[in-house]
Amino acid sequence: MKKILKFLLLILLILIIIYFLIIKKPIQEFSKNYFYMDTYIVVKIYSKNEKTANRVLDNIDKIYSEYHQLTDRYNSYEGINNVYYLNNNQTNQEYIEIDKRLYDIIKYGKNWYSKTNNLLNINMGNILDIWKKYRDNKEGVPTIEELTSVKLFTPDDIILKNNKIKNNKLNLDLGALAKGYTTQVVADYIEEKGFDKYLINAGGNVIVGNHYNNEAYKIGLEDPNNKNNIYKVIKANNKSVVTSGGYERFYEYDNKKYNHIIDPKTLYPADYMKSVTVITENSKLGEILSTYLFLIPVDEGQKIINEMDNVEAIWFTNDFNILFTDGVEFNE
Amino acid sequence: MNKNDLLLIIPIFIISLFVIFLLKFSNNQAKNALIFYENEQVLKVPLNINKTYNVKGYNGDVLIEVNNNKIRVNQENSPHNLCSKQGYIDSSYETIVCLPNKIVVKIIDEEIIDTVVK
Repeated sequence: MKKILKFLLLILLILIIIYFLIIKKPIQEFSKNYFYMDTYIVVKIYSKNEKTANRVLDNIDKIYSEYHQLTDRYNSYEGINNVYYLNNNQTNQEYIEIDKRLYDIIKYGKNWYSKTNNLLNINMGNILDIWKKYRDNKEGVPTIEELTSVKLFTPDDIILKNNKIKNNKLNLDLGALAKGYTTQVVADYIEEKGFDKYLINAGGNVIVGNHYNNEAYKIGLEDPNNKNNIYKVIKANNKSVVTSGGYERFYEYDNKKYNHIIDPKTLYPADYMKSVTVITENSKLGEILSTYLFLIPVDEGQKIINEMDNVEAIWFTNDFNILFTDGVEFNE
Repeated sequence: MNKNDLLLIIPIFIISLFVIFLLKFSNNQAKNALIFYENEQVLKVPLNINKTYNVKGYNGDVLIEVNNNKIRVNQENSPHNLCSKQGYIDSSYETIVCLPNKIVVKIIDEEIIDTVVK
């Protein structure tokens, strides 16, 4: 009798082990929304640790809020030498001390100017202002005379030294990298706090960590021609996915569309494609590259990305074709 | 065939039946549930994430809970509370209908997209 009992208990134990190995356990999701940098942002953390997850989500609000204020070029904030302050206080030329976070973003953007063949210009706010005015009025197109009448500054005019910046020849606009940069800072913070399963969606910037169910995140790419359609699903973990496109912020005049991504060489919006999506391991790099690729012809971009390790890209062209780099097939 | 053979065969048989049973019922295909108010879809929720949702019903807020790949109406303002009494559903063959609040909860089998890059 004893022997049979022991035997049955062993079988029961084996059955219990198999049960826990096979049945997939659902996990809890904690999420919070934010609105900064003109974007609706969602952060989701998958974990069983409710208290810490919610605390992290609260702290993320502070991170986005502070980076938002530092990079804001339309508003000043008491006691903060932000982009607005730097752009509007250039009578006495001197070195102004700025927050290290702002210093690092400006330095990052400045370094990419030459690497992108002088296409990534974070210092042409005055040109962007002209286009914003026309975009808000939805009327007319600036002439080349109007665009060249303002001084064109470049990142080479930015002088940085020891966490200080010279307030001379500055018209900074960090729109091309602030969101991706900050979102990577947020992702790094989440990981630092011990969470590896998370998803961040900051408009055209998505970062995912490990999957909540040990599969792969399914990330849809919006069809530039139809907001309600997804033209491709990327399956990935631990990646940043950034899209640059002309189809969200634009205006139409005289049957032509003018988007918000301005080519510093022509001073007019770039028109080589409808959108480009870059997949990398780091959102700071992802956003820089997606802006860069939007400013050059598709085949040039393909050549450049195929030479890079750990970077893939997907183009939605003007004649409705979808082109990938070599590594994208593997993500299917 | 002697006693020792049976001692080996029967446990293996039981265990394999058990594994087959588990695999059939452990759903690899993740499901979504659709929530309708007055016949219009107001929400689409994944069943593989435990969460409680607050939906506006005709008589007030309706709490809908997703737990362990099942979904149910947890709380609603109605004379007989029939739809919260119904409890959990976990397959697309079942539907939860809350007539007084005009809420319908249906499960659909479909591929979930986690997020969309705009």
